[in-house]
Amino acid sequence: MKLVTGQGYWSPLVWLALAAGVAALSWLFWRLGRRTYKAGTEQDAPFLSGEAAPEGAHVGGQHLYWGFVQGLRPALEALRAFHSGFLGDYVTWMVVLLAVALLVVMLT
Amino acid sequence: MNIGIHLPILAIAVPLLGAFALPVFAKVHKRLRDIWAAAVGAFTCAMVIALAVQVLSTGVVVYTLGAASPTQAVTQGGFPIRIVLAVDGMSAFMGLITALVGLASLIYAFHALEDGHGKTLAMTLFFLLWAGMLGMEYTGDMFNFFVFLEVTSIAACALIGYRTWESRPPEAAFKTMALYTVGGLLVLLAVGILYGEYGALNIAYLSSKIGGSQLDKIALGLLLGGLLMKAGTVPAHMWAPDAYGEAPAQAAIVLVANTQASLYGLWRVLFTLYGGVLSSPAVGWLVVSLGTLTLLVAVLMAVVQRDLGRLIAYGAVSQIGYMLLGVGVGLTVLSSRPDFGLVAMQGGIFHMLNDAATVGLLFLAAGVVRRAAGTRDLTSLGGLGHDLKWTGGFFLLGSLALAGIPPLNGFASKILIYESSFRLSPALTAIAVLGSILLLAVFARAFQGVFLGPRMREAKPAPVGMLLAMGVLAAVILAMGFAPGFFVEHLVTPAAEALWRGRDLYLAAVLGG
Repeated sequence: MKLVTGQGYWSPLVWLALAAGVAALSWLFWRLGRRTYKAGTEQDAPFLSGEAAPEGAHVGGQHLYWGFVQGLRPALEALRAFHSGFLGDYVTWMVVLLAVALLVVMLT
Repeated sequence: MNIGIHLPILAIAVPLLGAFALPVFAKVHKRLRDIWAAAVGAFTCAMVIALAVQVLSTGVVVYTLGAASPTQAVTQGGFPIRIVLAVDGMSAFMGLITALVGLASLIYAFHALEDGHGKTLAMTLFFLLWAGMLGMEYTGDMFNFFVFLEVTSIAACALIGYRTWESRPPEAAFKTMALYTVGGLLVLLAVGILYGEYGALNIAYLSSKIGGSQLDKIALGLLLGGLLMKAGTVPAHMWAPDAYGEAPAQAAIVLVANTQASLYGLWRVLFTLYGGVLSSPAVGWLVVSLGTLTLLVAVLMAVVQRDLGRLIAYGAVSQIGYMLLGVGVGLTVLSSRPDFGLVAMQGGIFHMLNDAATVGLLFLAAGVVRRAAGTRDLTSLGGLGHDLKWTGGFFLLGSLALAGIPPLNGFASKILIYESSFRLSPALTAIAVLGSILLLAVFARAFQGVFLGPRMREAKPAPVGMLLAMGVLAAVILAMGFAPGFFVEHLVTPAAEALWRGRDLYLAAVLGG
């Protein structure tokens, strides 16, 4: 079960035992919480940024990490431009890879 | 007749002949075709497993076509002129990956494909691709390697684009075919140079003769260019998201295995064919640099994808980067720091198996999503977890494994890569960890967008057969996650050792002495 990594070892069973301990601790904290929750009442209503969400509201896949993507926008746009979808560009970059490989090999 | 001796050729010939016979059986009866496909698939898997057991227990298995004795590769003049198959620990390991992915793909295909929509054609192409991959992995001959490379290229492109009633698959197939053709020509040119120089095509013989001349170096550069492209390395990776994204799910996972077969070819060239002359770390650093670039660029591109298939495709390309990084570190320190070089190679090679299972599972889950919702567009999906509970669970498992979350298998191979690449340069580990964090973000977004939230549409439930195919891969992921030591000791280490120190054994097995 144990995996020797060169620097030490990795044991998923030890990790699971620790994870079980953390889960048990979390459960104990949860048990100490308020007991006023009632299922099926307005307490179950979803809120989006403090607003009552309209029925069927869903934070779609494109919304998650919006800020993160916006922050990286310039880099990501450059990468998108690099992936133009044109076959000519694909072959050009392949020639670049070939040239680099040949250069490295010839210089060694 | 002792079938055990003939396992290497049978493992290639059975799916090859199975592919050509399949349309004939389909003409007779569709049920007969399915029984034939199941029998060919089961027999091929059994032979690949039996061959792996044989290799792991007795060492390199050599099979010579047309010789009086299949184990006799060298003629009386001391020259290998026949076609030779040579299966060592690395080849056997790759065969097992190919068999696993092929089995899952076949089970899935039975239920995912429909008779009016090219089922017979797709299954025929699948068996051709399977045979080509096994041929690339088992051959001991450079020209045959090229032939099998072309078999996989043609079958793969046809599998990507056979759905001509849609617009995008044929376009993706055309782009892939163009690049595969250029890459194949580079490999053919390199094989021609080596043949012109040494008058032989046998890998072991060539390896014993290659002395590092300028022509040898040109051939190596051409082989690197062709194989790195086919492995989906940045910046020549752009065909991969098109191909993976547009191919049907059961074909996409075989394309992933096909990419890995090209990586295997790269390892074989670097460690066996040129193993005697590659003493400089420059080529190792080239592989490390390309691996780092690949994992970073691919994962950043995955962040902005809106199509679930393309998102997984970029995730798959990023995993190629981890494999290149691991094995590249091993290649860089081959002679100077063997203490962590072997660990790096174990990580890179173990990650190939992990990648096949996890990316395969994700592609199959994406196929179920498309079948259930009619789209893979993340902007319009949501709430499918209400109806596709098992698929959602499988997708989550695959996502966490791919991102390297403990205790799953992806973490086990990545920790080997992290620790060993840290010894070469901490910056490499930092980039690799950053890539994993971004991957987790990408797949958390995909899972949330597809499976969570309120039910937005009625979803068609997945047939049991498709769930079974995903279940096979999920079981492998869990097994490798909870018992990584077992897999590394019994499968990965023999494969890494075959490349690391196994060149002399390989040459001795083929050439004698």
